[in-house]
Parts: sequence; C-alpha cells; structure tokens
Amino acid sequence: MRKLCTLVLLSLLVFGAFAKDAPNAAADPALEARMMRIAQELRCLVCQNQTIADSHADLAVDLREEVRVMLRKGESDEQVLKYMTDRYGDFVLYRPPMKATTWLLWFGPGVLLVGGLLGLILLLRKRTRMSDDRFEPDEVDGLEGEVRS
Amino acid sequence: MLSSVHAFATDPRRGLFILAFLAIVIGGSLALYAWRAPKIGLGSRFELVSRETMLLANNVLFVVAMLSVLLGTLYPLLLDALGMGKISVGPPYFDTVFVPLMVPVVFLMGVGPLARWKKTELPDLAKRLKWAVVVTVIAALATGWLAGRITAGATLGFLMTFWIVAAVATDVWERVQPAGGVRAGWVGRLALMPRAMVGMLVAHLGVAAFAFGVSMVNTYELERDVKMAVGDTTEVSGYTFFFRELKNVQGPNYEAVQGLMEVTRNGKPVVVLLPEKRVYRVQKNPMTEAAIDPGFTRDLYVSLGEPVDGGAWIVRVYVKPFVDWIWGGCLLMALGGALAATDRRYRVKQKQESPATVTSGAQA
Amino acid sequence: MNMKSLRFIIPLGVFALLVFFLWRGLRLDPHEVPSPLIGKPAPSFALTRLDDANATLRRDDMLGKVWMLNVWASWCGACREEHPLLVEFSKTKAVPIIGLNYKDQRSDGLGWLNRFGNPYDASIFDQNGRVGIDFGVYGVPETFVIDKQGIIRMKHIGPLTPDVIDKRLMPMLRKLNA
Repeated sequence: MRKLCTLVLLSLLVFGAFAKDAPNAAADPALEARMMRIAQELRCLVCQNQTIADSHADLAVDLREEVRVMLRKGESDEQVLKYMTDRYGDFVLYRPPMKATTWLLWFGPGVLLVGGLLGLILLLRKRTRMSDDRFEPDEVDGLEGEVRS
Repeated sequence: MLSSVHAFATDPRRGLFILAFLAIVIGGSLALYAWRAPKIGLGSRFELVSRETMLLANNVLFVVAMLSVLLGTLYPLLLDALGMGKISVGPPYFDTVFVPLMVPVVFLMGVGPLARWKKTELPDLAKRLKWAVVVTVIAALATGWLAGRITAGATLGFLMTFWIVAAVATDVWERVQPAGGVRAGWVGRLALMPRAMVGMLVAHLGVAAFAFGVSMVNTYELERDVKMAVGDTTEVSGYTFFFRELKNVQGPNYEAVQGLMEVTRNGKPVVVLLPEKRVYRVQKNPMTEAAIDPGFTRDLYVSLGEPVDGGAWIVRVYVKPFVDWIWGGCLLMALGGALAATDRRYRVKQKQESPATVTSGAQA
Repeated sequence: MNMKSLRFIIPLGVFALLVFFLWRGLRLDPHEVPSPLIGKPAPSFALTRLDDANATLRRDDMLGKVWMLNVWASWCGACREEHPLLVEFSKTKAVPIIGLNYKDQRSDGLGWLNRFGNPYDASIFDQNGRVGIDFGVYGVPETFVIDKQGIIRMKHIGPLTPDVIDKRLMPMLRKLNA
C-alpha cells in the first residue's frame, strides 16, 4: 500500500512538473519550423533590415500567419513566395532573385575575383621580363625582422 | 496594436552632408593617389612564389571582398535610379558572396607568415605546416562533436578557426627555436619578437576568435517560442527560466509592461532578466526591449512577444553560444593593428629620412 | 603627366560616378515599395460596411466606375494629416472614394469619422488586414485609383498632399474618365 502511495505521489509530482513547464507557442512544431524557414526569406517591409521571422511588427505577425495558413492548405514554398511577390514585388525577397537584371550582382564578385587574380599574375610575369636596373637594390633588414638576402 | 504608419518623406539634408564629407575625404585620397602613385618605383624583385606574392594576393582578395560589399549595397540604388525595378539586398547575398572570399584569405593567413621573402619553396612550406593541418582537422571535427552535432557550415568555420591558431602556434614555435647567433632561452626569443610581428599574430587570433563565434552562434544557437503565464517555467540548454512576475513600469518617456524572469542552472541562480514591452509616449508604436545576460561562453536573451488570452505572453528565449567572441575577435584585430602600427621601426625609418627632426628616443 | 600615368585617375573617375549615383539616390525613398499590382485587376473582396455590419460591399459592385480606395485607421497619425485634404477633395465629387478601415475597431473607426469628417461614400471594415495584404498594403495611409474595368492604375504611398492631388491624381482621373 505504501509503495502504491509513493508511486501515485511521485507520478503526481512528475505530471505536476510537466503542467508547469510552458508549452510551445506553436501548435505544430514541424509546420512552424517550415514557416520560419520561409519567413527568413521574406523582408519585413516596415522594419530596418529584418526578416518577418525576426520582426515583432504587426505586419510581420500577420504575414507569418498568412504563411501558416498557406502551408496548412498544402502550398509549396515557391507558391508562398510567389504569393508575396505578387503583392509586394521583388523587394519583399530578402535574397535577391536571379534575373537578367541581377546577373551583375550575383556574378560580379566571381568575375572580379578571377579578373583580379589573373591581373596580378600577368603583372607579376611582366615584372620578371623587365631588366634589373628598373628595380630597387635588395634591402638588408625587412620589417619582420628578417634578413632579406 | 499598431502597424506601420507612412510618415512624410525623410529630409535629405543629412544625407547630403555625409555625401559631401565622403566626396572630400575619399575624393581627396584618390586625387592624391592619382597625383603621387605614378612616381612610385617598382620596388625590389621577387619570385612568383614568395611572401610578397602572397601579400599581394591577399590584397586582391580584400579588394574584391570590399567591392562585392559595395556592389551589394549600391545595387538596389542602381536599379531604382535606372528605373529597372526595386530589389532588396541583405544578409543572404553578403553571406553567399563574402564567405567564399574569406576562405582563401584565411588560408593565406596561415601560409603567408611562414613564407620566405623573395622566394619560397612550396614543398618546404607544406612540410612545416603538416602538423598544423592535422591538428586543424582533428580540432574542427572534435569541436563539432562536442557541441552536439557536426555540420558542413560549422566545420568550415572551425577549420578556419583552428587553421589560424595552429599556424600562429607553428610560427611562434619556429621563432623560439635556437638559432645561430642569438644566445637566449625560449622566453628571451619570445621577447625578441618585433612588435609588428606580435601585432600580426594577435590580429590573426582575433580573426580566429571571430570565426569561432560566428560558427558557434549560427549553428548551435537555441531558440524557444513559448506561451508563458506568470508562474510558468521553461528550459533551454540546461538553463531554467521561471516567469516570476509581470508589472507595469514608467520610464522617462515611455510606459512599459515588464516581465521578471529568474534564470537558474542546476538549481543555482544565474541572473534575473527584465524584458519589457514599451510604448513611447510620442511615437506610440510598441517597442520590444529584450533582456540580455552576456557571458564569456554564451549570451542569454529573453524578449516578450505578444500577449495572448488568459494573461499569458508569447516569450522568446535564446541561448547564443560564444556570441561575444565575435566582438572580442574584432577587439583583438584592432589591438593587433595598434600593436603593429606602433612598432618603433616605422618611426625610426621616418627619422632616418628626415634628419631635421631631432628626437631623444633611443635607436631601435 | 604622360599618357601612362592617366590610368591612375581611373579610381577617382569611378568614385565621381559613384557620388553622382548616390546624389541621385538621395531623392529616392528607401522605404517606398512600388506596387506590382499596377495594371493588374484589383483583388476581389467582400467586406462589411463600417457603418452597417449587415451590408456587404464587393469589388464587383464598383465595376463600370472609376473609383478611389483610401486605406486609413483611427490609430494612424499621418491619416489625421491627410484627412482635411481628403474631406475637401470629396466635396468636389470628382470621384467616389471608398475607405478601407484597416486593422481597427468598428467603434474607434466610426468615432474617428464623426470627429474629423467623413469623405467616404462608404468605408469597408478590414479588421484582420487580409484584404490589405491582397492589395499589397504595408502601411497607412495608402491610396489606390481603380478604373472602370476594375484594374488598379495608380498607388500613392503616404498621406495625400495638394501636390499629389493636382499633379498625379487629377490627371489620372481625367484620363480614366475620358
């Protein structure tokens, strides 16, 4: 009998602890996670440089709910993003889209990198072909404390 | 509850002032460059594979990274001014573009200091860095495993972190080795290191700390959105958050609802956090004032979201590991720069070039 | 300076071009989001009237007329600023004006109109802001002009000013009514 009482008491304690632990704000964590992933791709239009995932603004809260509603209806990520750009334009995308007008944006850095490194190599090779008198004589003491022979 | 209100257009006068300032400072610098740069000679000769080339490659990488950030920042303006639509460029662009540029920079950060001036042999470098490579890979994977899971992004970040640390260690190790002509123990040799060199090593370690902080926070940050009424508890990453009370407070120019959150770990009190939802009397839009507990290994962050029925609130709780290492890393970089810039040899060189300046400073 | 050293001027030249673009950019508003709905049909809606919860106004009820949709709310300070202008404008009867009461309470909205004047032929009540989202509304006030076929022809973001009414609104209305 004593053991039964202890067992009942213990289980009450355990359930009591669960009752006090705050429930997740989201009813469906999997849907919520998917919504947040999409929300991180959408810009909050009333904030300074935040996504609707991070923002506390009213519009962000409303749009997050819209995304939840759409996901529950079975829409795909692309359909949700299209819904938003249909109403707010490309500006609402936090990641710039890949279009003809943004090729320079996306490929620019790569082109600059290749161009820069190529330019460096060509310049250095040009130097090896120059005559010695155009160069300064070798120094004895480099700034790293090494002897530059 | 308030949404955004479209106010009248912002005054461009502040922008014009800043633009004029930039035009004078940067324009002046570039004009100086256009005038004086043609007079600078070619310097001394060096091989294609040398420390000089690595420094130049490093410069190219930094310039490309800078131009990429400039491109991303100005692109929306460019398109808008040309009437070609309105896009927005934010962190997804900069992360995609900046990180791949920084990887070779970090690689050079390890190799460069060990390379010899004028001509360096790659096989020699590889041999000297063998140990560093092994330690880097093992440490990166071990850190990910200890943190809970190994991901590609975090591993890349840790590889960058430990590569720098291992390379710095290798450099220092080589310098304290007994070498001909200098009679001193390893402590003595350490003290002999020029300040510019110490500055470089400190700055590099700053980059390592930065990379570590970023990798940790981006991958292992924990967030919970919970519905809490007064008296509720929630647990994140071993920290227990107890919502003790909610009260109204008056600020100098605002009124707020303030939550009192007691944070404990293993039963021992850690901190009391006071997140607020403020309504400023003039602006009238509710502002969220998060409560942060900074720490060496983690930041704790609590904010009040929206109130829900029954007197409860949506509360956001974050545990951000090592996030302050990002700022610490930047401080180290600045310190390293200051150390390098104050190396006496820079000033001595200047004195030698201008004999008219008489000082009483000792020779370096 | 000879020809070869002219290339050192390139960075300065590029910078000058940059400054020009930045100067032009100061005229633009970074918060203004242009609407992709211009030239597209106005989203369909069916909302109750603010003054009568039993009466419904639908988009198609407005077909055949050029009309204006003004998004407002009792909690919006900037709406207070444009309101006297809107009341004056409504007296000219140039165009039917429908108000979209956005994310408000019925009693607050009606009270506000009683206090400050009612320029609207009717106001419709969008409590949860869904119709606003369909119109791409991201702040208050905003004003739309819709033609006889139900296509959105113009969107103005922010409070209306005499300048906007004279230079953009009236010409647009003249064109659409012709």
